[in-house]
Amino acid sequence: MKALVAILGLDSHWRGAVAVVRTLRELGAEVLYLGNQFPEEIAESALQEAADLICLSTLSGGHRDLLPEVFQALGARGVRVPVLVGGTIPPQEVPALRALGVADVFGPGRPLDELALWVGRDGGGRDRTLRSEP
Amino acid sequence: MSRQGPDGPQDLAREFRRWLGERHARSPERAPRFETVSGIPLPPLAVPADGSARDYLRDLGFPGAPPYTRGAHPAMYRSRLWTIRPLAGFGTPEDTNARFRFLLAQGATGLSLTFDYPTLRGYDSDDPEARAEAGRGGVAVDCLEDVDVLFAGIPVDTLSVSLVTCNPGMAIILLAMYASMARRRNIPAERLAGTSQNDFLMETAVTTAPRALPPAGAFRLECDAIEHAIEHLPRWNPISFVGYNLREAGATAVEELALCLAHALAVLRELRRRGLAPDRVAARLSFFFSAHRTFFEEIAKCRAARRLWHRLLGEEFGELPARARALRFHVQTSGVTLTAQQPLGNVVRGAYQALAAVLGGAQSLHVSAHDEAYCLPSESSARLALRIQQIIQHESGVTETVDPLGGSYLVERLTDELEERARALGAEIDARGGIVRVTETGWLHARLTASAEAYRAGVKAGRLPLVGVNRFSEGDPAPPEVFAEPSAVARQAVRLRRVRAARETQAVARALDALAQALRSDRNTFDAITAAVEAGATLREVHERFRVHYGPWTLPLV
Repeated sequence: MKALVAILGLDSHWRGAVAVVRTLRELGAEVLYLGNQFPEEIAESALQEAADLICLSTLSGGHRDLLPEVFQALGARGVRVPVLVGGTIPPQEVPALRALGVADVFGPGRPLDELALWVGRDGGGRDRTLRSEP
Repeated sequence: MSRQGPDGPQDLAREFRRWLGERHARSPERAPRFETVSGIPLPPLAVPADGSARDYLRDLGFPGAPPYTRGAHPAMYRSRLWTIRPLAGFGTPEDTNARFRFLLAQGATGLSLTFDYPTLRGYDSDDPEARAEAGRGGVAVDCLEDVDVLFAGIPVDTLSVSLVTCNPGMAIILLAMYASMARRRNIPAERLAGTSQNDFLMETAVTTAPRALPPAGAFRLECDAIEHAIEHLPRWNPISFVGYNLREAGATAVEELALCLAHALAVLRELRRRGLAPDRVAARLSFFFSAHRTFFEEIAKCRAARRLWHRLLGEEFGELPARARALRFHVQTSGVTLTAQQPLGNVVRGAYQALAAVLGGAQSLHVSAHDEAYCLPSESSARLALRIQQIIQHESGVTETVDPLGGSYLVERLTDELEERARALGAEIDARGGIVRVTETGWLHARLTASAEAYRAGVKAGRLPLVGVNRFSEGDPAPPEVFAEPSAVARQAVRLRRVRAARETQAVARALDALAQALRSDRNTFDAITAAVEAGATLREVHERFRVHYGPWTLPLV
């Protein structure tokens, strides 16, 4: 299980992304922390690293424009892995993000414990493939 | 116990009378008398009745007098209320100018301006990297003309303005633009009052973003701006040491104090190396603290900060004039303590944290709005946050006597404890090579992460109660109305095209080359930056010279 964690665009808050990195590592995942990335870089990294999961952090509002580009860039490379988004995302926006293809939204107040589902450690630690939507 | 001798009742009574006559009497009070709602008079300052408090004169003393535990000024809020300085910044300069006017109409007494990420990172709004973020989370500024528009009709000759220009690479450019804007309006530099954040830890420890300058480079530009302001902008605070943001990144109250003071000492040492006397520098430094969730710890932290700073300055630089040794600070109520769940509860958090800042003796204050877990403040949440300050100022009566909690067994003990622990941590930072060095090595980042994790683990385990999260979490499904800041990309692109077409390309190139040369020579870069922005160089063009000179730096985060 290999996860990529990146901060979307120019946003410069790192605490949330670092907390996600640590949580995923505690869950036994291999994690690559990429720092700030734009959509093309994210897709290219996911392809090169054969990532199983992409986690994107955003607090600046830039996700509204950048997330559609992420999915476009992933699609162009034939990369189909779950994309999780965390940060300052109002609940009102969640349905649209789901429709775009975001697998899960870790908006304000969502406990990081729920990341366990995404590394196949939910319940009794059963293994799941992450190549498809849950 | 009644004790004679150096701290005895006669000494204290005599010193108290002297303070009243010599210091307090020089600060005119806002009202002829102060009293409780029941009519009991409030004295300007309460002191131990029998004068037996051990070491009172050494450890507490009087407001506006060493060791400044009880306040930076003799009469504090009896003389002058703190500045209500709400944060604002979004969209284009026109959008933000309109919000400024709204806030001033609602009773704000100062302004605090936030910038979007492209601006903070040294991009222009029409750069491809800025496409998603221009005008979001702060205002977009690309060139001198933007600053003209931002402050159009705002009385910058009488109103103090905080430029929340976090990183020094950006702070020095924005300060140059601000000073140029004033010059164009024929406002003398001597009249400009305000603060630049200008803290290299924002660039290298608190945030992480593309094109970060390395710690030593950012520190040099920080000191260039400070040096320039000391010589030419007598009312400007050229740096505000960002305890607040360290706290948001995870620091404890002790770390907040120790890191800020270690940084401030580093600035004094560097400017002494450049030939500036420590008293001239110390008088111009300001601090920015958080008001976090533990009420008494936050009050004690402010009091400990003043006393420790006074003592550290004395130990390293000897006797300095009084003003140079009184630590002054702005406070923001803690964003990281706000909950997304039950957001109206954040109004209460903002109010009691603001009260802690006031009891700690803040010079200016911003209360975070209750919807900030979701978005920038809407007009109505920003107004409510302002009202919190006004209710404390005008209804609570806490402004009517100085340092009302001075002498509280608990507050004094916490003050001692915070001072002692911050001093020890400061000594450790010194032993590790100083604040720039611990940033370069990643020691600081590891420490912040460990503290942030400890807090998160405490909330997760329920050891740290959080109403709406791990206690009383039922209900309140409706999130607040979300303020959507407008994008600035298209509108800024129009202005940029016009500015680029109107300027003289050769002059811009010459000015930027001169800047590159100043960077290489170790001369102060401020004048070269001013020349470049006045020639029409954009923010990105100026920042590019910093980047090329210093090269990239990757934060040692994980």
